[in-house]
Amino acid sequence: MDSALIPEGVKRCSFGKFVFWLVVFGAVLLWGIVAMLLCWFKGLNQTNMNDAYGFALWIWADLAIIAIGGGAFFTGLLRYIFGKEELKNIINFAVLLGFICYASALLILAIDIGQPLRGWFIFWHANVHSMLTEVAFCLSCYFAVLTIEYIPLILENRQIDKVPFFHNLSHNMHGIMAIFAATGAFLSFFHQGSLGGVAGVLFGRPFAFREGVFIWPWTFFLFTWSAAASGPCFTILVSWIIEKIARKKLIKQNVIMLLAKIAGWMLATYTIAKIIDTWYWATVTAPAAGHNFMDFYSNNPLYGIWILVLEIVICGVIPSIILITKTGRRYSFLLISAVFLGMLGACVNRWVMVLQVMAVPVLTFESWFMYFPSWQEIATTILPVAGGIMLIMISYRYLPIFPQEREIEEEKHASIFV
Amino acid sequence: MKEQHKHTKAKKYGMVIDLDKCTGCGACMAACMAENNVPFKKDESNKLDSITWMRVYKLTNGKKFPEADICYLPRPCMHCEGDHGHAPCVSVCPATATDYSHETGIVSQIYTRCFGCRYCMAACPYHARYFNWWDPVWPDGMEKYLSPNVSPRMRGVVEKCSFCFHRHQLAMNKAYTESRRELKEDEYQTSCTQACPAGAIIFGDLNNPDHAVTKIAKPDHKHGGRPINPNAFRLLERLGTNPKVYYLSSRRWVRRAGDNYIRDERGQGNH
Amino acid sequence: MKVCRRSFLSLIIGGAAGTTLSPLPLKMMDDSSIWTQMWPWTPVPEDGEVSHVDSICTLCPGGCGITVRKVATTIGDRAIKIEGMKGHPVNDGGICVLGLSGLQLLYGPTRVKTPLKRAGARGEGRWEKISWDEAIAEVVKKLGELRGKGKSHTVACISGTDSGTTAHLLGRFLTVYGSPNFIRIPSIQDSYELTMHLMQGVQASAGFDVENSDFVLSFGSGLIEGWGSPVRMIKANSMWKERGKVVQIESRLSNTAAKADKWVAINPGTEAALALSIAHVIIQKSLYSADFVNNYSSGFEEFKQIVLNEFSPDDVSEITGVSASTIESLAKSFAGASKPLAVCGRGQGETPGSLNEFIAVHALNALVGNINKKGGVCAVPDPDYIKWPEVEMDRTAANGMHKGRIDGAGSKKYPDTRYLLDRLPDAINSGEKYPIEALFVAGANPVYTIPDTKAVKEAFNRVAFVVSFSSYMDETAENADLILPNHVFLERYEDVPTPVGLQKPIIGLSKPVVKPQFNTKHLGDVILLMAKSFGGRIADAFPWDSYEACLKKTLGNKWDGLVNNGFWADSNFRPAAWEGAFNTPSGKFEFVNKGRAESIKIEGDEQAYPLILMPYDSMRLASGFIGDPPFAIKTVEDTVLKGNDIFVEVNPRSARGFREGDHAILSTPKGSVKVRVHHFDGIMPGLVALPRGLGHTAYDEYLAGKGINFNELIGPVEDPVSGLNVAWGIRAKLTRA
Repeated sequence: MDSALIPEGVKRCSFGKFVFWLVVFGAVLLWGIVAMLLCWFKGLNQTNMNDAYGFALWIWADLAIIAIGGGAFFTGLLRYIFGKEELKNIINFAVLLGFICYASALLILAIDIGQPLRGWFIFWHANVHSMLTEVAFCLSCYFAVLTIEYIPLILENRQIDKVPFFHNLSHNMHGIMAIFAATGAFLSFFHQGSLGGVAGVLFGRPFAFREGVFIWPWTFFLFTWSAAASGPCFTILVSWIIEKIARKKLIKQNVIMLLAKIAGWMLATYTIAKIIDTWYWATVTAPAAGHNFMDFYSNNPLYGIWILVLEIVICGVIPSIILITKTGRRYSFLLISAVFLGMLGACVNRWVMVLQVMAVPVLTFESWFMYFPSWQEIATTILPVAGGIMLIMISYRYLPIFPQEREIEEEKHASIFV
Repeated sequence: MKEQHKHTKAKKYGMVIDLDKCTGCGACMAACMAENNVPFKKDESNKLDSITWMRVYKLTNGKKFPEADICYLPRPCMHCEGDHGHAPCVSVCPATATDYSHETGIVSQIYTRCFGCRYCMAACPYHARYFNWWDPVWPDGMEKYLSPNVSPRMRGVVEKCSFCFHRHQLAMNKAYTESRRELKEDEYQTSCTQACPAGAIIFGDLNNPDHAVTKIAKPDHKHGGRPINPNAFRLLERLGTNPKVYYLSSRRWVRRAGDNYIRDERGQGNH
Repeated sequence: MKVCRRSFLSLIIGGAAGTTLSPLPLKMMDDSSIWTQMWPWTPVPEDGEVSHVDSICTLCPGGCGITVRKVATTIGDRAIKIEGMKGHPVNDGGICVLGLSGLQLLYGPTRVKTPLKRAGARGEGRWEKISWDEAIAEVVKKLGELRGKGKSHTVACISGTDSGTTAHLLGRFLTVYGSPNFIRIPSIQDSYELTMHLMQGVQASAGFDVENSDFVLSFGSGLIEGWGSPVRMIKANSMWKERGKVVQIESRLSNTAAKADKWVAINPGTEAALALSIAHVIIQKSLYSADFVNNYSSGFEEFKQIVLNEFSPDDVSEITGVSASTIESLAKSFAGASKPLAVCGRGQGETPGSLNEFIAVHALNALVGNINKKGGVCAVPDPDYIKWPEVEMDRTAANGMHKGRIDGAGSKKYPDTRYLLDRLPDAINSGEKYPIEALFVAGANPVYTIPDTKAVKEAFNRVAFVVSFSSYMDETAENADLILPNHVFLERYEDVPTPVGLQKPIIGLSKPVVKPQFNTKHLGDVILLMAKSFGGRIADAFPWDSYEACLKKTLGNKWDGLVNNGFWADSNFRPAAWEGAFNTPSGKFEFVNKGRAESIKIEGDEQAYPLILMPYDSMRLASGFIGDPPFAIKTVEDTVLKGNDIFVEVNPRSARGFREGDHAILSTPKGSVKVRVHHFDGIMPGLVALPRGLGHTAYDEYLAGKGINFNELIGPVEDPVSGLNVAWGIRAKLTRA
């Protein structure tokens, strides 16, 4: 039915099946939209946030998806600036993921703020001292960059490409993409960093506060670093999932291997940095504010030392070792486990740097604050996930996001033929 | 005029709360609510969504009967000076909706500019900032008691203790009409200070050596405002928030409860 | 066609692009944000000229001066803030939670807005609005019927106070109508009046010169929790911090205990024994004031024998749990202080105490000779300004007045007690004397405040005609047949004589701050109108046109001063010197020695109910006839009230497996309720403490349904001498919910 729109030389599932799944995820999306409208019209009393949890699930989701969406900027950086040519075969997909992640983040922010209609005050009345201002500026600019990077991809659709104007536009945009990639990488470096700074500058919160260089706390650099590590992990993970669903190879193994290796080294170095940071914080920074290290991990029903072990050892050390060794990367199971853990590590880190920061009592006469999100919060967090899946479905069906797909298909045919 | 302005010395309004005198009666809380048009709702027992610019905490010494002891601690906004006005909350606000005034030392909050990101709440270790999770609703007829000096806040913005800044404005207006540039100590007092039946709250200019706050707390301006009075302390002194609310207590465990200490550490509460 | 579609699309895309690039989106962004800054549903208080009115707060017997800030607006004067009145002899600028919340009562949804007549069943909440003429006619008709049948004595009136012109008008009306049953709500004032009467032979209130005392020995009094005039006591407490000592004797670490210089944990109910043991040490070591004891007291020898024989520190130590050495040191510091003062009356003093205890504690004051002295206890007479001509009763009235009081006060059994409200429910329910046909309630909320709520409600059901004068829809008003709403204190004139516990007589004047907000009427005017309707001797007893006229005339030359200053203080007042201070038969201070052996046993079997339930009071919880307004209830901690659940305090040692926050069933012989458990190390193991002031069923959604009313769980226990309810606790148990 829609075969005219599907890229040439590739096979896609039946239109009925496609629509069925669109409807399924569309229903989830709708659930999220209902929750979103509730939050907008009735206010944030619809959430389980409170005065101790001004930041909660949403801010975590924001930070996490921006971290794992970091694949876009980092792959772009490698491809366009460091000239890793192989990565051109995954860059489209990385851009798509980035676009989805950043769109999601902006949407969640629009729900999260108490006065969405005044959201633009962050630009109009900007306070340059605030990390959030930096985040807002870089995030919006980078989202614009991602949109610009995503547009040529849309223009490559078979039917659109037929229009000479769009064809030429797409061609020209490709030509200057390196500039955007460089801009994106620069912006990304800053907003990933300033998201880290969001927690790190909180000198009233000994669990979050870190020293640093100039105006930037260590978390500034750690966040960028971990995004550079977990972003590619997430890209690999999702492409693997799509390959599993499509039941065919979409990206050549050498591309995946290269990206995995780079992700591995990023993760390994990040983990070392994170361990040093944690050590310094636990032995110098926190005690200076009167806190024993274990104060942060005891006397509460959830946050035990396990979470630190999970973040640093299980989601840091272990996947690093897998990804930096050739043998580790070669076994699909190990590779996928490692990229999953790498991605999870960033998510856990963001959770800790948002929710545990809120949970830890600072005044001696207060106790731990515990929180569980309301369904409205969960639904609105899942909303962009469902939306993202739908966008991937549509993009995969109609756009050449995997340039090697046709080649791999032909090779397969050829081998059968031989 | 400009010349005159220059001569007006910068104020640093602050508070001293005598915890020996505080009886935990709660008058300061109600005085604050009544003065500042603080809304209320059917259930205010969840203290995590209950707006109380001034909140009285109950501290316990953790000992068993009959050695147990309790102490009340009223907590307004600390109006932290931080390092040169970089209060924890002020520097993080992305929209400059909260500001540190170097003229008065008061941390302000502009409700109409705040767009409700709540970053300041995450930044404040004292939980002095409150979010309007709901639209403020007064039962039919009760709007009549709302003060015209303080605008009721809309849903979705953050609010907090202002040291009754509107009273400062009114006092200044009055002084100006009388061709004065300086306020007398009793001309500007917060609602809680005025109401406290125990006289436990004292308010004034910490830069003015004649004001009671300065005489009692004896802030050491060379060392970040740390109190010289051995019975005085500030909450979470070690974080460097540089608060302008001082507490007095003759009890060591109370002073010690004002800050965190690592195990076996002999701290400032140790006088 | 193709061209058409194309141009259509172009138009759309071009239009969209054009609009985006035009200033329109920016304008809309700006407008929408401005809209959020002035949402029509967020109120904008109207401004206007500001003025202040000095008045007196009558929400409790504390009698504080208040200054009310008003703003003149197009909808009339709005009262916007109540503050403490600077320079007032009671509170000098200070004010309490309840006083600060007064405007929420004035403008709140709990107001009764017009006279109401019951339309449904009692307590069903269905009302018919009626006019004042109809309302007064209704009352007069009913009263006339009863009087016609010679049943005037079957009318009773419960009043929050018996002082001031309004209460006097009410009492006068009852007398001239022919009923002896004017009943004041109980408090420690009853116990102190009786103590004064028996030991000093005077009809006076006890005044405490707390400001000048340098050693306060408090037997469980909530000195900073609402005892006496609350703000004044808190002020005094701050003075003691600078120059004075406080010792609190109490089984629970109350705020008073925590603020005291020394907290002595005592087994509950044994305070009298401790006081006598302290007397033992004082007498044994001859630390007493020889001048006072030898020259101005009588019965000392007998007293001495009793305390020396029966109350040695060692023996008493076993009863009270207070060590002998503590008793001795207490005695020495008390007697050694220059201005010692011993006070009693538990908590806020809303429940009278055992006469033994009061006499024992007052004996301590006598031993150190601080009666009518600076820093001591003074007998304070009512300011004697209500000088109306004696009423002339007709025969019916005289007959009615001749019948004994329904509550037994002044009877042979309880000859010295003036009012016994807590005996009223039982008297009505048992029908032992005569039925009550009509009941008036003014300035009181007995359905809520009298112990054993079930019995109180039953008694109410037996009364055919209940009239409430409440300004608020409280529990009593809800259970009335007719509500004749009084103005609230900010809308009416009222004289407020000496606040409870003050050491000198003063008069305060409550003034209308704003015009009456609703169709209410001053109780004083209502009484005058009723009297006029009756005509005859009844009307003759009220020769005033209006309450205001009556008040002005009564206050005479004090009126102008009162209007200007808000209060009048008798600058000439000095407590009577020891010679002539005592109107006892001996003319001296009497160490009353009767009935000492009897101790108050609380209700309940120890086996079935292993714990003891006691109430505790808090400044943040109004437990009298006024319910907590929204501001006040908001200050209540979440370890006292969470949602609608009330917490009981239990020592972790006797929590028997109940963890913090656990749900439990609290049972006493009077009833069972659902509670949650709060561990508190400051309470003696074996005790359970429940806050007073919660568990309202009436008022608005901000108060109703929250927690449990302590009075549902306790019943009265009669003092053998006074007949007053002196139940300080009741046996209880906690079981799994």
